[in-house]
Amino acid sequence: MTTETRQPTAPLDSGFRRNDVAAPLDSRVRGNDVASARNDDMSGGNDVASARNDVASSGNGESPVAGDAILSVRGLETQFFTDEGVVRAVDGVDFDVLPGTTMGIVGESGCGKSITAKSILQIVEAPGRITNGEINYNPSGDAGSATDLLSLGANSDAMRSIRGGEISMIFQEPMTSFSGLHTFGNQIDETLRLHTNLSKQERFDLGVDWLARVGIPNPTQRMHEYPFRFSGGQLQRAMIAMAMCTNPRVLIADEPTTALDVTTQAQILDLLQRMQEENDMAILFITHDLGVISEIADDVTVMYLGKVVETGPVFSFFDEPKHPYSKALLTSIPSMFTSSRERLPSISGSIPHPQNRPMGCAFHPRCQSFMAGTCDVGEPELQSVNEEQEVSCFLYEGQ
Amino acid sequence: MAVETTENGNGSASLLDVRGLVKYFPIKRGFLRRTVGTVKAVDDISFDIREGETLSLVGESGCGKSTTARSIIRAYEPTAGEIIFKTEDGDSIDLAQLSLVEMRPFRRQMQMIFQDPFSSLNPRMNIYEIISEPLLVHGIGSSSEREDRVAELLRVVRLRPEYMRRYPHAFSGGQRQRIGIARALAVNPRLILADEPVSGLDVSVQAQVINLMMDLQDELGLTYLFVSHDLSVVKQISNRVVVMYVGRIAEIGTPEELFDSPKHPYTAALMSSVPKPHPSQRTKRYVLEGEVANPANPPTGCYFHPRCPFATDQCKVEVPPLVKSKDGRFVSCHRADEIELTVN
Repeated sequence: MTTETRQPTAPLDSGFRRNDVAAPLDSRVRGNDVASARNDDMSGGNDVASARNDVASSGNGESPVAGDAILSVRGLETQFFTDEGVVRAVDGVDFDVLPGTTMGIVGESGCGKSITAKSILQIVEAPGRITNGEINYNPSGDAGSATDLLSLGANSDAMRSIRGGEISMIFQEPMTSFSGLHTFGNQIDETLRLHTNLSKQERFDLGVDWLARVGIPNPTQRMHEYPFRFSGGQLQRAMIAMAMCTNPRVLIADEPTTALDVTTQAQILDLLQRMQEENDMAILFITHDLGVISEIADDVTVMYLGKVVETGPVFSFFDEPKHPYSKALLTSIPSMFTSSRERLPSISGSIPHPQNRPMGCAFHPRCQSFMAGTCDVGEPELQSVNEEQEVSCFLYEGQ
Repeated sequence: MAVETTENGNGSASLLDVRGLVKYFPIKRGFLRRTVGTVKAVDDISFDIREGETLSLVGESGCGKSTTARSIIRAYEPTAGEIIFKTEDGDSIDLAQLSLVEMRPFRRQMQMIFQDPFSSLNPRMNIYEIISEPLLVHGIGSSSEREDRVAELLRVVRLRPEYMRRYPHAFSGGQRQRIGIARALAVNPRLILADEPVSGLDVSVQAQVINLMMDLQDELGLTYLFVSHDLSVVKQISNRVVVMYVGRIAEIGTPEELFDSPKHPYTAALMSSVPKPHPSQRTKRYVLEGEVANPANPPTGCYFHPRCPFATDQCKVEVPPLVKSKDGRFVSCHRADEIELTVN
């Protein structure tokens, strides 16, 4: 959990402004040709791409336009090699995060959403290992300039400068994500020391500045305090400040509001949206809460047992969910708009243990639309059902 | 409605009548463990639970909702107040006055369901032992009768009786919560105190457990005191809701009343914070500024006044009593009848 906030101390040469970073990065990258080839491939059909090209330099928070993804995950596989056997936690996951937008990843426990996030930053803990796939990171928006993060190596300088610098992460439990032995000032200073060339005083001032921007009262004094003095909501704000202080292009938020009360959750969601507008940042928002998704996401990816079952824009997802699992999720969750004392349709059964993954489509034992001889035999592929939505379900096969 | 029972006491329909319940925890410091202050976890609250209904306690963490439930079952000793329980033969007994031995028969009528199905079942006991333990404690039945009862209970919570000899690790979260429910039902209780019973479950499993709890209520005539921070779940399961803020009651009403036309500014803020179920309903949220008051050092007057956009000088000094408002709702706000609140 703490990898992000307590990084090993190693001097890094990355510049502070993201525009500086993008250039030296490319020169360091190996396998760049492959990445660009893929990138062309992937952006086919999206010719609005050029509209995004100037965003990185101008940095104005204009409304998101479909185009080259800033982060494009392809065929990601992360497996855990345990004594009981291999757990395919992430099993061929594809999705794109567009610059300046929020991609929500929804799923229940064991669906691999957190492992996907950790895989992007290559902080998967042993016995887990990324076994396949590409994570193409394209901060400039120019076609062909994407970097496959997986080709960088988890401990390479380039990856270290991206991790916590250009791509930051905030975690579910703010209470356990900080070191209790260091003041908050020390912890934010470490991040800034690793990712900027600022002097000690400048780093302190920037820390104070960020604490103030996330709405923590008395920021100068709070810099000298230990995390136990902060409330849960304040700690989550402080973690956001720490993640934001390097001006990341992508923020990965792993269930950032799950441990918080609804009132605090509303504050944090507001803060994240404000930060996104001010900094033209993409957010990968991981949650199990469809309510939060409906509040914050532009696009949604639904995962079940390590696979993407559906992906598309948030409005299409809520208006016309395609996958039986998405439909069942949406109808089985009580909302403020269901009348009280009403029985909800529930999904039968429970999520299978990842070691006992069902044959065929992993959802088939719980599926209302199960087709014997099809769903329990082959695995459905993720395919487009219209211009916006992609689904992996045999119901849509051959459409 | 609630007036009869909370005001003149012996309302015929209320199973449990909580009056002026107070629970303070001492803060002890230093070598001599001297008391240096008190945490006012529950600070003079009154409400009633009617037979066959689901009454929910909602509020942010630290508002005293779990402490209230635990004080009712005497897992915590209440500092002051009365907990009037109506027995099966119609007598009213103040549970707060009973000794622990005298309390025992009443414990049988009140059972708890806990939040975390992973820590509330002993991993060294099999399902039969877990569910039959309350029967054993209360000396009910012979061993073969107990086995029949456990099998029946497993069927009641939609689990297969053959699983009786398995251990908790073999079950999923939702199944474990059903086992917890079966254990609570073993001694035929009349009141179930459910402390965040679905918070630890996956969303696809939550609906199963909520539906099960509502079915059991209909089948067995149970009364629920439901503690939760999840307002959507509360709205779905409750007949009435008590909104708590820092150990006090802000408002009592039906889910529709509270969600559609709240009277207390805190209720309105709470409802407005709940994520909307469809992206088209995204609006500017009414975001509550500041932090929950510290129950060890609460503000003067109305505890909510530092965060309340409607606070006046009166709110800073005078504690608002929980009173019946013009249209028969219970609100503790000096300005309940003046201000217009909407949830958007």
